[in-house]
Amino acid sequence: MVFEPLILEHVEKSFKDGDKENHIVRNLSFRLKMGEVVAVIGPSGSGKSTFLSIAGALQSPDEGQVIVNGTNISSYSDIEKANIRLNHLGYIFQTSNLVPYLKVEEQLSLVLKMANQWTKESKRKIKEMLSAVGMEHRAKFYPHQLSGGEKQRVAIARAFINDPEIILADEPTASLDPNRSMAIIELISKIVKEQNKSAIIVTHDEQILPLCDRIFGMKDGQLVEVEKR
Amino acid sequence: MYFLPFKEMTFFKVRYLLISFILFFVAILVFVISGLANGLSMNNASSVINMSADTFYLQKSAEGRMDRSHLTIDLGRLTSKSDAQPLGVQMGTISKVNSEDKLDITFMAVKPESFLEPNVMEGKGLISSGENSVLLDHSLKSETIRIGTILKDARSGVKLKVAGFMDDQTFSHTPVALISLDTWKEISGGADKTEFNAIALNRANSSLKEEISSMDKNGEWVEKELVIEGIPGYTAEQNSLYMMLSFLIVIAVFVLAAFFYIMTIQKTAQFGILKAIGAKSSLLVKTTIFQVVLLTIVNIAAAVAFTKGFMMVLPDDIPFIFDMTQIAKFSGILFLVSILGSLLSVFNIVKADPIQAMGRLE
Repeated sequence: MVFEPLILEHVEKSFKDGDKENHIVRNLSFRLKMGEVVAVIGPSGSGKSTFLSIAGALQSPDEGQVIVNGTNISSYSDIEKANIRLNHLGYIFQTSNLVPYLKVEEQLSLVLKMANQWTKESKRKIKEMLSAVGMEHRAKFYPHQLSGGEKQRVAIARAFINDPEIILADEPTASLDPNRSMAIIELISKIVKEQNKSAIIVTHDEQILPLCDRIFGMKDGQLVEVEKR
Repeated sequence: MYFLPFKEMTFFKVRYLLISFILFFVAILVFVISGLANGLSMNNASSVINMSADTFYLQKSAEGRMDRSHLTIDLGRLTSKSDAQPLGVQMGTISKVNSEDKLDITFMAVKPESFLEPNVMEGKGLISSGENSVLLDHSLKSETIRIGTILKDARSGVKLKVAGFMDDQTFSHTPVALISLDTWKEISGGADKTEFNAIALNRANSSLKEEISSMDKNGEWVEKELVIEGIPGYTAEQNSLYMMLSFLIVIAVFVLAAFFYIMTIQKTAQFGILKAIGAKSSLLVKTTIFQVVLLTIVNIAAAVAFTKGFMMVLPDDIPFIFDMTQIAKFSGILFLVSILGSLLSVFNIVKADPIQAMGRLE
């Protein structure tokens, strides 16, 4: 059986919207397999981002279970969740969200240092990671000196540097042109396959769907698998 | 993790330079004004401040003002006691013999060689018998007034020979002319029971206090600090300066707190990113406070150095005293204020939401 690094079971989440309760996620169950890239699509407001923030240990669910790497984190405190994010999850945001005052290589070393994974090997590891995303020639650059696509590549490298099992990407191609978008998703998919990771990509960019293994749609607060066309 | 604040400060140079300048200048302003306040205080009252006495017996109705107090106790009974000494204080005018140029001074009369006579910087001490001698504050020293010059009291016409000069002896911003009790008698008309202003006590001694109190029932014991405050003009001057200082510190509180607060608010998005990639709130709070501590210490140290240099180039006629303990006190206050200002923003750091970083703003 394939290992499942992320399992969501009967997850519920609602928000107060004025005086009425807005039930965004209802009885959502989902299993992510190692080595696959999953796309989640759906109109805005359907709960894609809420799903991602629960899966990504940024929010706790009201009900149900979130199991990351075999550990149930649904009732974890903020500090414990931060540790889970640090060691098991990698994020890629819509805008690259790099730290503006750190050079490209420092963006990566910061993650390793925070996770107490800094060793003599780390410099080499960062170099390899940067060359995997084709950014080794930009190692000494600041984010403001990079183009949008380059920033997103650095963000991908940063998401992978601490060897997380799961990569979560929230609209990673939204600020990029179509050619760059395809290249970025290909890159994510390539690293996931090579290093046997798994990835969830929330998107509304239909052209990238053929690059994903499974596609889910958000419907009535649940994830429903969509046939690949 | 403490490399983060350094990286940030070197990257946003202009922003942090501005904040540094504000800290630096506020600190300088506080230090310089406190130096001037001390300088003026010394310039006003150095004779009493430097006096090696700690309590004074003054007339009750004088309300702590030495110049208003009058005591009439037989001097002979007092001068024999080494720990209690009569002190005469009288504003006056002197001039050189054969000269119309008058100088405002304050006569202070003490028993020669008693604890009330200050150290002589130049020349000899007071002579107890024979001709009338006078010790002058060094500010009176000039081309025409030096050791051996004969001066004349404008009111009584008594002649005084300059025996020496003293360091820092002023009373109500006038230089002190120190004379002996015998000269004092002559100047004030030579009554049998000479009037004088106060009895100074070298060190607290309750039996001696009682003995003196019984000699003149119209008196009270006043601490040295209160006597200094009673010198004409002293309290008004110091109060204005301390008013300025306290306003300055209140303003500093708000300016610094607002600056550090706005600075952290601007960084909320950054904190969100850092949290999303796994930074804990405690780490961000620690690095932020570390940054503020660093900025404050560096700038206060620079301001102290600047104030020291400023004192060197200040002309002599602007009295300025660099009092390290007081500067340390004000540094401490400024330091605390900055830390408090940055603590205000801790709330914002804890609140910074990593979900916002996921969201759609850079």
